[in-house]
Amino acid sequence: MAQDLQPGSIIIPDWHQCAESKDFFSRILYKKKRKQFGLLESPAMAPQAAVDTVQYKVFLSGKNGVGKTSLAARLAGLRIPSMHYETTGIETIVLYWPVKLRESGRVLFFRLQLWDCGENALRRFDHLLPSCKEQVDAVLFLFSFTDRTSFDDLPNQIARWSGPSDRVVKMVVGTKFDLFMHSDVTQREVRQFQETQGLPVLCTGGEVSDGLGDVANFLNGLAERLWHQDCMAATLDRRPTQCREGALI
Amino acid sequence: MMLQDGSTQILCLTAQSGVPLFSRGASKQLPFSVIGSLNGVHMFGDGQGVALSGCQTDCGGRVVWRVFHDSVMLIAVNGGHRSGGVVQGHVKGEELFLERLLENVWNCMVLVLGRDELTGMKNVERLKKDLRSCFGLIDQLLEDGHRGVMGNLTHCADCLLPPDPALVQEAVDGFTRSVDSEFGCLVVRGRIAAATEKWWRLAPQEVVLLSALMRTLSASGSASCDYPVFLPQGSPTVAHRLLRFQLLPGADVCVLCGPAPTLHKAQSDLVRQFWSPLAETLRDCLAVGERCLPAAVILRAPEILALLVVNREARRSVSCVRAGADDSPALPSRPRCWELLRLFYVFAVTRYFGQEEAPAPGAPAEEGADSRSGASGDFVAGLSHQPLQCYLVTEECKCYGLQTPQHQLFLLCPLSVPTFALRNVATQTLSAVTADTGF
Repeated sequence: MAQDLQPGSIIIPDWHQCAESKDFFSRILYKKKRKQFGLLESPAMAPQAAVDTVQYKVFLSGKNGVGKTSLAARLAGLRIPSMHYETTGIETIVLYWPVKLRESGRVLFFRLQLWDCGENALRRFDHLLPSCKEQVDAVLFLFSFTDRTSFDDLPNQIARWSGPSDRVVKMVVGTKFDLFMHSDVTQREVRQFQETQGLPVLCTGGEVSDGLGDVANFLNGLAERLWHQDCMAATLDRRPTQCREGALI
Repeated sequence: MMLQDGSTQILCLTAQSGVPLFSRGASKQLPFSVIGSLNGVHMFGDGQGVALSGCQTDCGGRVVWRVFHDSVMLIAVNGGHRSGGVVQGHVKGEELFLERLLENVWNCMVLVLGRDELTGMKNVERLKKDLRSCFGLIDQLLEDGHRGVMGNLTHCADCLLPPDPALVQEAVDGFTRSVDSEFGCLVVRGRIAAATEKWWRLAPQEVVLLSALMRTLSASGSASCDYPVFLPQGSPTVAHRLLRFQLLPGADVCVLCGPAPTLHKAQSDLVRQFWSPLAETLRDCLAVGERCLPAAVILRAPEILALLVVNREARRSVSCVRAGADDSPALPSRPRCWELLRLFYVFAVTRYFGQEEAPAPGAPAEEGADSRSGASGDFVAGLSHQPLQCYLVTEECKCYGLQTPQHQLFLLCPLSVPTFALRNVATQTLSAVTADTGF
């Protein structure tokens, strides 16, 4: 199970700081900032150094205003909206992240598509949630450190996803961690929650600096769990993990 | 007026009870007492059987009221001193600007929430909360003027003429059919590069509004969207799905469709199939950039500061500012050129040209709005003929307006161009833009 996973046991955690990773990370950067990829684009490696890409769909769940859109923008290195606007439908963001597997030394590009949908829109339009659930690989349950009710609501959010299809990575994300002065949720409560629910909890927030270091921990953690889930699934029903690897131009 | 110079604020209240629902624009909000008075004076008129539509303050501030469907009142307040010698003291022009704005804001609200939600008004507190989801789009409208978008004002869709129109047209048509829809459109740098025939048959305001929505969504950097939208005129009570895909940064395709296919399916199966072969063509479209005209259209660049060409029948427009390489600091800056172009457009259409708003085919026009904003004031009414050309010389630039049955051209030239040459430049520019492109 995912909670048994030791961070860094499958992929190399600080790989973005190694010299050998430079060639890979330079493909997702442009002028020292994260590069934005349209749907027709992907990071291009030299033909002799071609790298497989694995695709995953990640859904962001959480109350209004906890920062789903901001988290997606932060992870993808996009400009974080300065003002809060409600997301009135589904918006997805695509990001690429290279990782190195510890055991085989193989390098992979993770293509994560983050699905973000405003809670009000989900409530008003019935077709949105099924669309978000379709072939989803991971769910991030968000709460905000500055909004107590969003933390208390987590069990409800998680319950919505306890279905027969348990092949979904579940993680909890605490946002606005930097605003500790206004924090409504204590560290102890978070620890307790982590123990009772058995889900990993990550925290984000604060200023965004140069890009990679801010999100490396988060993305590696997510990638690791996604990859682990695929490996488990493959050993269970011998489904080859390669089925995710789409040909990308 | 307690507003910054030139800033416009939108106030929204319930028409029946005058409860404030929201206000947008201007960093400093008007105090509650002022909002209350603005509502009160309108209500007073109503009680006397008088509809108050607009007024002007001593220092140039303007207020425009409009009630929609007896349920929502929108008030636009402009702080006055809108810099621009052209329209200063030009009441009609300013009103046109604000009236269009109110209409667009209402359409935004319908687009996001649907008309029933706004007119039913069961629970005001709930509505207040729901209305927040329109703020992104409304703020976009308030800011659009600074980004060289004219559609909100002209109600003609801002277009970009691609170098190879047939190729992209075919791809848009094919892609739209593949998702079982007839409404599809390719937007490059916030402007329509190609659209299906049915897309153009949407009401002009809807086309403009959907373009604004696409700009908002595109600016956020998201890769794809599934947005429920109500069409303010075509389908105000039943939501459609707007699927949008970012093919390349700056190039987005969107379709209006029914329940199928899901976003996931359309994206993983169809987007690549139709658009991968066109990646290079799309890059060529992006390269057209802010000029909005393909390189094949040769303009007398040093003589043109800014131009706006409106296709009156098709309700489309192309515009560009300072397409030439001349970056002389003596000329007005690019943002200033856009502002001057807007001002001259308003000036010309309210004083001389009039603007017959083509009623949207298949959709009833908003009651009364068009005839009112279409009125070009007493000046034209006193003329026995329809002006075809007009010019204006200001301290910053020279302006020339030209209309044919098919097109309108609004042109800004530097002061260095002799006034007698303006007509020549204008006619040549119009034929350069329209002849080869078929615009």
